[in-house]
Amino acid sequence: MDDTTKRLLHRLIRRTSTEMLKTTLGKWGRLTMAQRQSLDFTQSKSALTEELLTLCEKNGWTVKNVAELEMIHVIDNPNQGMWHAYRLMDPEDDACSVELTQFKERFKTHLSEVVRHVSVKTKKHTDEAVWIRIAWGDTFSRPNHLKPTYVVYHLQTPYVFVTSLTSKQKPLLSQALILSTRYQGFKDANLSGRKLTAIRDLLMKQYPLVFPTNFSSPVAEKDQTMSNPCIIKEQDGLEAKRLQMARGAFGDGVLPQLESAVYKLETKFKDQTNRIMTEREEPFRCVVKFTSTNLLESFRQCAASGIVSPPITPLFSSIPLKGKNYFALKDKTLGSSP
Amino acid sequence: MICVIVSVLRTPHSSVAVQMRGKRKSCRQSYSSCLGASSRLGLKPVLTGRRLNTSRRAPKSHSITEKVTPEQLALLLKTEWKLSYVTPLYQFRHTQLRSYCRQLSAFIAAEKQQGLAVEVEGMQSGYRVSFSAVQGMAEADDDAETVTIQIHSKSMLAKQDEPEKLVWSGWLSCINGNPDYLHSLPNDFTCLPLFGSSGQEVFTFLVQSWFQKTFDCCFGPLEINHTSLQWLAALWTNCHTESSIQHLKLIWTLPVEPQLQITYTVNPQDAWSLWSSVRKDPEEENEGEEESIDFEEVVRFIQGLKNHFYKHFRLDLSAGTLKQVSTALGSAKYSGRIKISNSRYMITTLTLLTEAALLKMPI
Amino acid sequence: MSLLKSFNNFPALNTANILLVENEEQFQQSLANALVEAADAIVNVRLAKSLPVPTKNEESRPRIDLVVFIINLTSELSFESTEASLKYLDCGYFLGKVCFMLTNARNASIPPERLDAVRKLASLLHCPLLFAEDQTPDGVTNAAERLLTILKVAAGHVPMTTALYMSILTQCTVLPDIDQPSFD
Repeated sequence: MDDTTKRLLHRLIRRTSTEMLKTTLGKWGRLTMAQRQSLDFTQSKSALTEELLTLCEKNGWTVKNVAELEMIHVIDNPNQGMWHAYRLMDPEDDACSVELTQFKERFKTHLSEVVRHVSVKTKKHTDEAVWIRIAWGDTFSRPNHLKPTYVVYHLQTPYVFVTSLTSKQKPLLSQALILSTRYQGFKDANLSGRKLTAIRDLLMKQYPLVFPTNFSSPVAEKDQTMSNPCIIKEQDGLEAKRLQMARGAFGDGVLPQLESAVYKLETKFKDQTNRIMTEREEPFRCVVKFTSTNLLESFRQCAASGIVSPPITPLFSSIPLKGKNYFALKDKTLGSSP
Repeated sequence: MICVIVSVLRTPHSSVAVQMRGKRKSCRQSYSSCLGASSRLGLKPVLTGRRLNTSRRAPKSHSITEKVTPEQLALLLKTEWKLSYVTPLYQFRHTQLRSYCRQLSAFIAAEKQQGLAVEVEGMQSGYRVSFSAVQGMAEADDDAETVTIQIHSKSMLAKQDEPEKLVWSGWLSCINGNPDYLHSLPNDFTCLPLFGSSGQEVFTFLVQSWFQKTFDCCFGPLEINHTSLQWLAALWTNCHTESSIQHLKLIWTLPVEPQLQITYTVNPQDAWSLWSSVRKDPEEENEGEEESIDFEEVVRFIQGLKNHFYKHFRLDLSAGTLKQVSTALGSAKYSGRIKISNSRYMITTLTLLTEAALLKMPI
Repeated sequence: MSLLKSFNNFPALNTANILLVENEEQFQQSLANALVEAADAIVNVRLAKSLPVPTKNEESRPRIDLVVFIINLTSELSFESTEASLKYLDCGYFLGKVCFMLTNARNASIPPERLDAVRKLASLLHCPLLFAEDQTPDGVTNAAERLLTILKVAAGHVPMTTALYMSILTQCTVLPDIDQPSFD
């Protein structure tokens, strides 16, 4: 057993809670029944690690075996690390007929054509997603299993989610994906977050959506009856309108947990009270980042409480609408539009 | 109090009464009462006197590097300090720093024996405390020299030539303290109202309690409030032409559930342009006088940033709280943490903080 | 969108009407409940985010006896919004029928300048300035009770006194402090 295997196993155990480790090991199925039962999960992490390392030696597990264990863990805990969404562009005619085995085979061949040493492992998850673990190497070095890239591709959709991908590896992955999915382009979707499920739901619109209407929903009208007849809100209409607007932009169900949104602004300075700056030709460059444990929920609250004045700017409503959380804005006269 | 009694015993009889009277009196005179005695609910012109200055000199790139040795400057720079205010120290002598070193080391050792949790990893045979006065930091004649304190741990297992580990450091300072207030203090008091600490809380606590016992002073947390943060943002931006600020970063939080944090990072050049656009015409100012910055200009600067933001997001940042300001010259957090990265503008920052500390002082 | 007038309606028997104006619309709800609960007469509470109040309610709105501006000191906007709202009050109200209620005044993040500004505003308009604790139920009840005392007078429920008379005693004044001994 080589050093990498040990380190990989060690790192994995350190990151996983004991409870989680038990189930993961169970799913992995490389321990015999007797071995599994003899493992004492109540002992300390370091003792448990020692025991597993000995078992590892005894059973002769390879790097690939341990990598598989890691993959099971990552699939079960997808909300770790930074996930970036990409979008495949321009499908060819047969793009929608690509099925799993075909895709797996093609992907492996295409990737090993461009990179000499690469270790690819794929697994199909219950929700139609194909999980791919890539350990990159190059012409001279063997695949580095300690820094793997994870790719999640939903078959027959143009969406790909990737974590820990360097800019060097990006074109390689892009080419392999394009060829094996029968698409022609690969583009950054400008969406990223720590929670894979959240960005997937946002991009694939798998959360309660609201269709914009001009009619007030019945929910907006029921509040008044609840309270004391002696207490009357003067601006009740306004409040209802704000609530409706907030719902219109962000829906009224549970929202995907997105943590941040970034706006890179290169626009003309706007402030009537400051003539010098407003008349300036050059744009005012700034970056605005919004962060929260649940960004969309925060925005909805802001809109409902009136901190964000109506109407809600498209900059905010674009996040759920376009499934993006990175925006670069430039004035139209200066070139491209948002 | 013990120390006070000791000192009283040592002093000639005649002066005892004077001292005690002076001391008690100082308790009644606070900075705020001194500045605007009649201003607790005072009339408009007095009211502002109790607050931070509304106008301050534009930061010059001070030749501090010529006055203070680089080693001593390095002690103060690039560390994030947690700030506290300190009431004037009774019978503190810059000449007795050596003896303070011994006293504080002994104090720490004694507290450790008593079982107070001062345990750093590994075996510790003791702590070495060093006090030193930073010569040349003081700006005005009335300012007491800044004092730095460092605590090193001596490991039992360490080899002879192994350097001791720095476990805690701190400093006390007074830069451009209000002369009226400083003059009003009786002779036995040294005013070093600003205290910065970095390292384990336990040491901060021990150092503070030793100071409290020895110099009959008291400590309290010093927040960097909204006004001071705005000042710092403007003062730092004002330096851009001489020393690049790299970026101007302001962080606001908004009171919604879950809390929304907004990080607003402005390109340094554009921040500078905005700043110059809100500056008053220099010709209007009296010639010959030093360039000064009015709080009005600071407010207009921040308001400009807010307005630009509102135009895009329709969100008024005034609804939130400004929590943090940072540039390449330093960073300041509302929670009372400050980091000064460039020695050239250190004095300006410390002047502002000294003022804030004097204001926050109770009594 | 019109001025809120102090005498455009007849008062009702044993009834007092209070208008709570708060930009954040957080404290006003709990305060309103406490007011209605604690009162021995009928108290009608009107809530507004800011003034002016909509004209469509003109018909149903009773005569407002007391206008309370709730200012959250941690928010700059809260004060700005109050300043803007004040313009929509008839000057008759400033004869003892307006008061300011501050929350979060103990918060360390508040620049003292903001408190000064509120103080100056209150004394300029000859209005009382009350401080309230909005986080605890006790604080809310306490605030409600203090408001009720003023409201009773403003609504004319207390014989022999008037809002104007009381405001002379309760208004926020920016008085010079008792002189401190001079320094030697």
